Amino acid sequence: MNWRLGFVVTAAACAVLPLVVPQHSLTILVEALILGLFAMSLDLLVGYCRLYSFGHAAAYGLGAYSYALILTYVPLPLPVGILLAVAVTILIAIPIAWICTRSTGVSFAMLTLAFAQLGYAMLFRFRDVTGGSDGLVGIPRHPGPLGIDWFQSKLGYYYLVLVCLLGSYLLCRAIVRSPFGAVLAGIRENEPKTIALGYNTRAYKITTVVLAYGFGGLAGALYAAFAGFASPELFFWLTSGRVLIMVIVGGAGTLIGPILGGVSFVFLEHQLSQVTDLWPLIFGTIFMAFVMFAPQGIWGILTSRFRSKPAAPNSDSGKEAPGAAT
Amino acid sequence: MNWFGFILAQCLNALSQASILFFIACGLTLIFGIMRIVNFAHGVIFMLGAYVGYTANVVTGSFLVSLVVAPVVVGLVGMAFERTLLRHLYGRRDGGAYLLLTFGLAVVLSEVIRLIWGVQPLGTGIPDFLRGVVIILDQPFPLYRLFLIGLGVAAAIAIWQFLERARPGLLIRAVSQNSEMVHALGTDVDMVRTAVFGFGCALAAVGGVLAAPLVTAFLGMGTSVVIDAFVIVIIGGMGSFLGSIIGSVLVAFVQVMGAYYFQDLALALMYLLMLLVLIIRPGGLLGKED
Repeated sequence: MNWRLGFVVTAAACAVLPLVVPQHSLTILVEALILGLFAMSLDLLVGYCRLYSFGHAAAYGLGAYSYALILTYVPLPLPVGILLAVAVTILIAIPIAWICTRSTGVSFAMLTLAFAQLGYAMLFRFRDVTGGSDGLVGIPRHPGPLGIDWFQSKLGYYYLVLVCLLGSYLLCRAIVRSPFGAVLAGIRENEPKTIALGYNTRAYKITTVVLAYGFGGLAGALYAAFAGFASPELFFWLTSGRVLIMVIVGGAGTLIGPILGGVSFVFLEHQLSQVTDLWPLIFGTIFMAFVMFAPQGIWGILTSRFRSKPAAPNSDSGKEAPGAAT
Repeated sequence: MNWFGFILAQCLNALSQASILFFIACGLTLIFGIMRIVNFAHGVIFMLGAYVGYTANVVTGSFLVSLVVAPVVVGLVGMAFERTLLRHLYGRRDGGAYLLLTFGLAVVLSEVIRLIWGVQPLGTGIPDFLRGVVIILDQPFPLYRLFLIGLGVAAAIAIWQFLERARPGLLIRAVSQNSEMVHALGTDVDMVRTAVFGFGCALAAVGGVLAAPLVTAFLGMGTSVVIDAFVIVIIGGMGSFLGSIIGSVLVAFVQVMGAYYFQDLALALMYLLMLLVLIIRPGGLLGKED
């Protein structure tokens, strides 16, 4: 499969898309791309290390609030603000990753959840700084550096988000296909064996958690700059739950799957929540169905069907969960 | 001001809180200890208990009847879920699937509750015969909270004796240690699992019925409680019955004392306690290191 061609075609399609849809749909497109990026960041943990984070909202919220707080006090240009927000998220993520990776499985899930809830609680504790339940409003998107201001318009911002998403995808893809990624797959498939082979799996896991927080923080910062506000919702466990659903339904361990999951989640939510208030019931049911019958997710189903045609053995190093073949 | 009486009242308050938490955490830890299943839907099951209890209370007019009806109904719901869905995941190598499926159940069930009972909080009110106030060392203390403490202690002793002495309890412990051997010796292990899951859910429902007069039944009561329950179970050690008792008392004390003395940090204290325990003992106080 020629993924380069696929990548270029997809990127081109995404670049043309905002020019053909009506203006008011642009908001949803941007949100969809941001959530796609957010879901992909969680996939690094869920899909590649099988570390189920129930508190990935912490990354999103940290990114958003860091950007919001930095911009409240210092009128920095948008790209600088976002980079700083990602840096802050990564710095805070290091101790969190160190503590969370002490345990695995359920304890890991609960520890990550606890940190997210702790962040949620802190927003109310330091309401003078964070605005408490009101959140922070009126977050600006300053132009610059060098007078660049194309990202101040909604269309321009769409392209900024698109570039961030595609760049992050390429970076993540390179990471999971590198020797580093191979060790992650080892951790996922058989951690004791990987340890026995001489790898310090804890260090790999810490690095991956920090990376996931970094990309999640990027998504959060992009969201705060786009929406112009940051609310405690971003830290809430439901945010973590939703992104986990996006990853599983899209297809954990594929990077593309979670992006698809995030994007389609936003579209479906937007369409269905106008028609019916049963939307949470519907997505809960869809999610359970995927866990039960299609743990490989949408992308997993698509690719396994594609691959089971003629034989191209080991074409993609067989990283996906066992699909249709054998 | 009688400070001793005041402290005592605070402690009793914490113990009554611990009693409700125990009903939830105990079911959670039993289900995990025996089935290796993490039931993320446990908080919503607790909420379902509160709502079913409310309806039973309205229909029959008796709090005690609702305290029996709700666990039975919710236990049956739990057993049905285990039989129809959860069972099919037993062969999976990946334990995370349970977490995900029960998380899906939590989402679906809380929506179903919203559709049936609506979004308004439903207050049951404290039953008449428990409405009084007891004077302990010059401090007034609600009778209902004393009732909670008594019920919690009685339930803890009953469950402990059941697990230690009764034959079904023996089977349950045996299944948790080596289910294949128990199966080979002719016990219907599937039935034991279904029963344990239903029992755990029924316990959570008892907690829900008991909590409803204090906090009213409202959507979202399951969320905070499931995190509390997980914190308790993780502090006590996953699967440890005694650990769930100790954890419930610790968390309840931190919550009650925290809410009084460190109002600003009350929300965070519980997580700090859990972090502290996990840093010292990654497997929980009475758990095995994993």
